[in-house]
Amino acid sequence: MKKPENRQRFCGNCGNHNAYDYPDRIFCTRRYAKDEDPVVETLWCCGEWNPSSQECYCVEEANNKRNSK
Amino acid sequence: MQRKDLLLEPVKHIRINGKLTVDQLVQQFKNSGSFGAGRLASACDIYERMVRDDECTIFLALAGAVVPAGMRSLIADLIRKRYVDVVVSTGANMVHDTIEALGDHHYKGHWFVDDYMLYKYHIYRIYDVFVPEEAFVKLDYKLSEIFDEIADENKGKSLSSREFAWELGKRLKDSNSILRAAYESDVPLFLPALRDSEFGFIHWLHASKKSRKRALLVDAFKDVPEIVGMCQRSARNGMVVIGGGVPRNTIQSAALASKKGMDYAVIVTMDRPETGGLSGSTLEETVSWGKVKNRANKVMVIGDAMVVFPLMVASVMERLGERFKRKPAFGGKQKR
Repeated sequence: MKKPENRQRFCGNCGNHNAYDYPDRIFCTRRYAKDEDPVVETLWCCGEWNPSSQECYCVEEANNKRNSK
Repeated sequence: MQRKDLLLEPVKHIRINGKLTVDQLVQQFKNSGSFGAGRLASACDIYERMVRDDECTIFLALAGAVVPAGMRSLIADLIRKRYVDVVVSTGANMVHDTIEALGDHHYKGHWFVDDYMLYKYHIYRIYDVFVPEEAFVKLDYKLSEIFDEIADENKGKSLSSREFAWELGKRLKDSNSILRAAYESDVPLFLPALRDSEFGFIHWLHASKKSRKRALLVDAFKDVPEIVGMCQRSARNGMVVIGGGVPRNTIQSAALASKKGMDYAVIVTMDRPETGGLSGSTLEETVSWGKVKNRANKVMVIGDAMVVFPLMVASVMERLGERFKRKPAFGGKQKR
């Protein structure tokens, strides 16, 4: 299976990401703490992006889904 | 004791002739009286005695992942029928109860699976049950809002874990929920290890919000006089333990502190006593502490609670019949 594109700046490979509506949307605890809407697109990104230690299929599958539309 | 006293009752061999009800099967186990069959039959007899005893308060201890595995509705029904008077559970079981109350599910999976693949798909495994990460994340999000509401309503007052469970049950609408059933039936539900579950992390999320001035306060020590008082006020006390751990010891210690000791005890576990851990400790060991009376009706069934407990409940319900109504040990609203 293709390796997830971990280096790209997407919420889905940020250290704060958890699946909210796999693979399309994720929950960001940092945004929650700041009283901002915590549910964001997996392929979105903000200035606080930091690389994740978790290898997962979120970005890869969200990309595949977007490309197949 | 003489030799003849040791050879009183012969083993009767199990007969399966055509259709059997659950209780008929349990009676066959009783005829054998041996090994797990004998222990299960004794457990059914003791639980029936507890339920029929109007002056007994029945404590149910819930540990181990029985709720995600499918025992949720059974427990909720026992609460509604008042076949248990007090529930003491791990926080985790109530987390999984809430996950389903909020519309998510646990899934039939397999124990033989690539766990790293599950990790990459954001799926958690509980032996052969799968839970998607979203179920937890949505729970975190929703409950952190509920925690906000409870904290605001209570204005800095700390709650016991029972009061916390009551507040939560009040806000869940699912009638199959254990928390909801306990709230509606006025059955006290304690969560002594509340922090050691997703509830602890939800509290962190709730308290970390920039706008949050006052966080929810739960005081675990407030549980102690409440549960000890329940034992003290009861003429007799009985416990049914699924698993063991903190819930089992919370109940047993209340029986000890109230200087009562349990009159009835049924434990279903697969743990071993040799490690000195509480979940596997024998009922005889518990007698040494004064937590269970020496002359109590007691049995420990070594087996998977997912098999043993539903059989036990089905057998006892069959004996009691549909018209049987048990007098609740507690009446009136128990919030404060």
